[in-house]
Amino acid sequence: MENLLRFDTGLMIWTWITFIAVLVILATKAWKPMIKALENRENFIRESLEEAEAARHEADKVAAEYEVMVAKARQEAQAIVSAGKETAERMKAEILKEAQEKSAGILRQAEVQIGTEREKAIAEIRTQIVDISMAAAEKIIAKSITREDNERLIGDALKEYGKN
Amino acid sequence: MAQGSHEASTNIGDKIIEHVANSDVMIHLELFGIDLSITKHVIMLWIAAGLLVTAALYATRRYRKEERPVPSGFSNAFEYVVDFVRTGILIPTVGKNHVLKWGPLVMSFFFLILTVNFLGLMPFFNYINHGHGGTTATGNINVTAALALITFFAIIVAGILEHGFFKHWKNLVPGGLPKAVYIILIPIEILSMFVRPFALTMRLAANMTAGHIAMLAIFAPIFLLHNAYVGVASVTLNVGITFLEIIVSIVQAYVFTLLSSVFIGQSIHPHH
Repeated sequence: MENLLRFDTGLMIWTWITFIAVLVILATKAWKPMIKALENRENFIRESLEEAEAARHEADKVAAEYEVMVAKARQEAQAIVSAGKETAERMKAEILKEAQEKSAGILRQAEVQIGTEREKAIAEIRTQIVDISMAAAEKIIAKSITREDNERLIGDALKEYGKN
Repeated sequence: MAQGSHEASTNIGDKIIEHVANSDVMIHLELFGIDLSITKHVIMLWIAAGLLVTAALYATRRYRKEERPVPSGFSNAFEYVVDFVRTGILIPTVGKNHVLKWGPLVMSFFFLILTVNFLGLMPFFNYINHGHGGTTATGNINVTAALALITFFAIIVAGILEHGFFKHWKNLVPGGLPKAVYIILIPIEILSMFVRPFALTMRLAANMTAGHIAMLAIFAPIFLLHNAYVGVASVTLNVGITFLEIIVSIVQAYVFTLLSSVFIGQSIHPHH
């Protein structure tokens, strides 16, 4: 038993020397480079994941924006079309109304003109009939009847004509 | 016959102790009045250190050149163990910011103890120094005491580096308690400061020695009874124990490292 629990300073010192040699060599040559590499890799993976997440968010945002933009464009297009339609309708109505008014005006004017022309023609015809009749009567009857009789006869005849 | 059997069992007991003890001095060496003689356990430590340094330098050759190396083969396996120590032991105990500072010490503990433990499982070290036993250096309390003393000083250094000299000693006991409590608490904390490395020393040495003693005790009936069936049973049982010892070697390296790291971590982050 004493063998097992024997105090051995030499062995302790050798243990320290060996351990410290291992520690000194491996601390700078093995452990630290490896710890740093592991941390670097961890950071790299985390950053990559974060970047991917950010990129995904950005893509989502762009897609959402695009959708909003498309919806807005569609709405605008619809508004433009409906505004165009409305303008066209209004213009059509205006043109129609104007045309109707114009045609009505022309019609009225024509009627008035026709009326005036008719009356003018009638008056002219009447004068010409009187003159022609007179000339004819003068030629036929010559001096058989006086001028007064003649005018009276024609006046009567015109009255009759006027009645008709 | 009775006396003969008694004699035989005494011899067996001596043989077992002889097997698990350090060898006699192989090369006598004395420097400044200190006995630095080379014994079997010193040689085993050197072999383990040599193997470990060679393996670690080989495994990390690309880590010294590249910033983000992609490991393969042996490097990959080695990195797996290093990362296990880093994420399983260091980060939970000393904290992420202190890994680079205390990682080398803790990893050296783990890998050196593990290598020395495994050397004890190799059956050819009993040929060093005329058939003395093949127990390993970590089964020797002088080796484990030396390692535990390193932990003992590392705990103090860690606390002083983090909090300053006086603050570290104040951190040993929680503040804001009634005076009477301190009368009990201060001696307990001082005692625990020494008990912890002592426990580390005994746990590792006893566990590494116990396996050898158990195996030898199981082999002993073969020589006492000279019976073939006993031989078959003993060998079968010891094959199982060898596998158990592989686990014990890993677990004890892990426990020593974990506790050292926990104590260093407590010194850095006193929970008071």
